[in-house]
Amino acid sequence: MNVLITGVSKGLGLKLTEVLLNNGCTVYGISRSLSPELERLITEFGSNLKWLRYDLSDTNNLKTEVFKHWIGLGTPIHAFVNNAALAYDDVITNMNLDALENMYAVNVFSPLMMTKLVIRQMLLHKIKGSIVHISSISVHTGYKGLSMYASTKGALEAFSKNTAREWGALGIRSNCVVAGFMETEMSSTLSEDQKNRIYQRTSLKQQVDVESVANTISFLLSDESRSITGQNIHVDCGTI
Amino acid sequence: MENKILEIVNTVLENRGKKAIRKINPSMSLRNDLDMDSLDLAELTVRIEAEFDIDIFEDGIVNTVGEIYAKLNIK
Repeated sequence: MNVLITGVSKGLGLKLTEVLLNNGCTVYGISRSLSPELERLITEFGSNLKWLRYDLSDTNNLKTEVFKHWIGLGTPIHAFVNNAALAYDDVITNMNLDALENMYAVNVFSPLMMTKLVIRQMLLHKIKGSIVHISSISVHTGYKGLSMYASTKGALEAFSKNTAREWGALGIRSNCVVAGFMETEMSSTLSEDQKNRIYQRTSLKQQVDVESVANTISFLLSDESRSITGQNIHVDCGTI
Repeated sequence: MENKILEIVNTVLENRGKKAIRKINPSMSLRNDLDMDSLDLAELTVRIEAEFDIDIFEDGIVNTVGEIYAKLNIK
C-alpha cells in the first residue's frame, strides 16, 4: 500500500510514518525539513520511505512538483494523510492577515488541492482509497487563542464529510482523526500550567498518546475500517 | 487520436458497468448521449489527461465530444 503523508519530519507525522513502515507500507512523505529522526527512518527502511522537501504554503506547484515529477501519475496512491499544519495562536483582536493567509494555505488550501489530485490518481488506478485529515479538539471545545487555528480544522472536517458523500459511490473513504493535545512541537508554546489545565479537562486526566493517534490513523487507512467513512474519530482522552 | 478518445470513453463506461459504444461523433453530448454522470466525467478527464497531458475541465465545462477534440486540438 502506497501512503502519501504530509508533515513527516516530527511529531505525529513522524510516528505515523514509523508505524506504517513497520506495517509494510510504502510511504511518500513530505515535509519542509529533514529531521535526524526522519533521516534514521530513511536509512532503516530504504526505498520504502520516499521523501520530498516541499513547503505546503506553495499551493500552485503541488500538481507538477509532487504528483507529476515526484510520485508520478503511473504510481497508484492508496491512501492520503493530511497531517501537516501550522498553528498560528493569538487572541482574535491581534489577528494578522498575512499570518492567517499563510496558515490557511498550509492547513486548508494545499490539503484540499492535494485531495483533488489524490482522488484523480485513485480514479486513474481504480483504487478504493482512504483519506484521513488530522483535525483538532479545538474545533469542538473552545480554547483561548486557538480560534484561527480551530477554524482551519473545522474547514477540514466539513470538507471530509462532503468528500465521503461525493466519492463514496466509488469506494473512496474520507475521515477525520480529531486529536486532543499531544506532547509535540505543535503544543510547545503552551506553559506547563496551561498544559495541565488542558489535561485536567479530559476524562483520562492526561495528555494524548501520539502512538495511539498514529494507530487510529493506521486503522482508518486499512481495509479493517472499510465500513467507516464521513466520520470524525476523536482520540482526545475523552474531552467531553 | 479519435480512436483513442473512443477507447477512453469505453473504459470509463465499462468501469461503471455501462454498455460500450462502437462509434462517437463530435456532436454527441457526454451526459445525454454517452450517459455519463459527474463521477464518470471526472474519470474521463483524468484518463484523457494521463494520455494527452491536458486537463480538459481545467478552465470550464466540456459538454460534447467535439469540445474534447477542440481542447486537444484535434481537427
